[in-house]
Amino acid sequence: MSNTAVATSSGAAVLEDVVKHFKSGSDTVHAVDGVSVAIPRGKLVALKGPSGCGKSTLLNLLGALDRPDSGRIVVDGADVSGLSGAAEVAYRRDKVGFVFQMFNLMPYLSAIENVMLPMELRGEPNAQGRRTLAESLLSRVKLAPDRHRRRPTRLSGGEQQRVAIARALANDPSLILADEPTANLDSTTGEQIVGLLRSLASDDRTVLIATHDNSIARQADLVVTMRDGKLVGRDEG
Amino acid sequence: MKTLRWAARALLRAPLRAALLVGVLGVSIGLALIMITVDGAFDERLDEIQSEVGTTLTVQPAGSFGGGFILRGGFGPGAGGGPNAPNAGDTADGADTDADAGQATLTDEAAEAIASIEHVTDYARTITALYSGDELVAGTVERPGNSPFAGNLPEGGRPILILVTGTDDPTELSSLGVQNAEITSGRTFEVDEGEANVAVIGEGLAEANGLVVGDTFSVNEAEVEVVGIYTSGTQFGDNAMFLPLDTARALFDREGEVDAISVRVDTAENVSATAEAIRETLGEDVADVTTQEATFDAISAPLADAADSSRIGMIAALIASAAIILFSVAIVARQRIKEIGILKAIGASNWHVVGQMTLETAFVAVIAAVIGALATFPLAQTVANGLVSDPTIQVGGFGRPGGGAAVQAVDGPGSNLLGEVDVAVSPEVFGYALAIALGLALVATLIPAWYVGRVKPAEVLRYE
Ligand SMILES: Nc1ncnc2c1ncn2[C@@H]1O[C@H](COP(=O)(O)OP(=O)(O)O)[C@@H](O)[C@H]1O
Ligand SMILES: [Mg+2]
Repeated sequence: MSNTAVATSSGAAVLEDVVKHFKSGSDTVHAVDGVSVAIPRGKLVALKGPSGCGKSTLLNLLGALDRPDSGRIVVDGADVSGLSGAAEVAYRRDKVGFVFQMFNLMPYLSAIENVMLPMELRGEPNAQGRRTLAESLLSRVKLAPDRHRRRPTRLSGGEQQRVAIARALANDPSLILADEPTANLDSTTGEQIVGLLRSLASDDRTVLIATHDNSIARQADLVVTMRDGKLVGRDEG
Repeated sequence: MKTLRWAARALLRAPLRAALLVGVLGVSIGLALIMITVDGAFDERLDEIQSEVGTTLTVQPAGSFGGGFILRGGFGPGAGGGPNAPNAGDTADGADTDADAGQATLTDEAAEAIASIEHVTDYARTITALYSGDELVAGTVERPGNSPFAGNLPEGGRPILILVTGTDDPTELSSLGVQNAEITSGRTFEVDEGEANVAVIGEGLAEANGLVVGDTFSVNEAEVEVVGIYTSGTQFGDNAMFLPLDTARALFDREGEVDAISVRVDTAENVSATAEAIRETLGEDVADVTTQEATFDAISAPLADAADSSRIGMIAALIASAAIILFSVAIVARQRIKEIGILKAIGASNWHVVGQMTLETAFVAVIAAVIGALATFPLAQTVANGLVSDPTIQVGGFGRPGGGAAVQAVDGPGSNLLGEVDVAVSPEVFGYALAIALGLALVATLIPAWYVGRVKPAEVLRYE
């Protein structure tokens, strides 16, 4: 079995025979159906596949927003699949950064407040430090300074997604999970966002983008293809 | 502290939602507070009324109802009737003290027997007599325009007879049986004046005869000194004279007789039982025992009704505010399910989210409570007045043996009792308000606590 090979290979994230089923009415949806894969560290990885093939479910499992029915998920050497309580909260807060298709910023907070939020949740005591860091993160995602104090409703989609990326970076996580981050953006903006995400992948930070868009997949270091909850391809870029 | 700041921020950033919540909740908390305040005022007033009228009962010779209550206008319910005084209609005929000579009276032994009954704290014996001699002139009585029995009065200021009451507990004005009466000059009797020729006379009588404190006048050929002058605020009441019991007995030739015994009972609850005990002791053929319960009930009926309404209102308002806050918190939680999901996805604990929502609710509740409490000050009295139905109509409607109702109506103690339910809104109302608010906030915490734990970010943030 390839399981053993996967488990021994070093990676930012390692999945071993991960299964996640959903019950909808009398049917059971095999959203993730026995996936084993190693995500290499420091790379931009694209998780490709048609809508409904289980990409979001897999990302949610990796981000501990959901728990697998069976299988093991190891991120940075730590088992994620069985997390609960304070450990689960700390993992979501410190180890991963989520970027969503719908941006999902807090509506009543300004851009910079949204970025400071994960730092405050972590308990960073230095208010000035939080602000300075948030400012620099917003500059890094190239949000114009005059936008820093605007609320999400007064930002464009691309700007909101930049804020969301800055927020994902707030606690310097080793894994960025981006679920269709460009699906609600025009193609030019989408390309800019992908470029931005690409620039985030580094020695100690892995970026995993779920997408059904081939043009995005083309920019990835590694493309993992899914269909009907199963892994069907793995192509080095 | 951080959570507190966040809660305040969340509220301030959604001012419309916050204002709406505060408004709705403020109204219901205010209503509850008003009802609490009014209810408290009613209860207090009911207790007061009960203590004023409720602990006295009157013992009179059997079959003596229907006596001259009218002549004793201005006497409180505690005084009882003057059983041997002729009816009002007779007064014009110049009836004198001998008119009642044939009627039974009570005795000093009866009074002593009463004194030994449990719960009796005190008693006062009185005799009443009408003075019709010519040594004194009675004051004139004008026909009160709104009196239901004005027709019984002598026309346009004709003199009426002077009511004389002998009493054996004369040291306090209240025990003279004159409620609402005030000594305007001089004093009441002293303990050692039981047989002295002294009198406390009404203002009307004093004026008609040019008497001031220290003057003497004759009554049935005896010289009596004026030691005090009182006013009861009514012309009848002020046309009367009080003498020590034994002095009155001597001057009116009523040795050993007692017309009425006014008995004080320790608490209002014991009045009925004590009345029964007195009936048993003296025998129903000897004594009629009347309590003030009927009076109390009649006087307080509108107030008791109002107190009931206010209590129901209070409970309803409290339930309403609880429902409102639960409902709105539930709605807010549902509305903000995505926010909750985001917070949890980026690493907020359930406790953090619940804490923030609870504090938001608590803020809203406290602000609403303060507004509600402030609204209580101007509104409570209005609500209280609205709840008590027109007192004069109610009071005129109750019946009492011996024309008591009429006395009340002239005198208006009933309307005084009711009309002046003073709703003093105390600063305590803020304490209640805070208690309600925090209680509600606490209850309202249960919803997010239950709800937030169940929010799965993967589900609420799902997008297809
Ligand atoms: N919470 C859920 N309850 C029921 N079915 C779900 C749930 N989440 C996902 N699914 C189903 O699982 C399958 C995979 O969904 P998803 O992971 O969102 O696919 P993708 O992101 O690739 O479009 C779909 O058929 C979807 O309807
Ligand atoms: Mg998806």
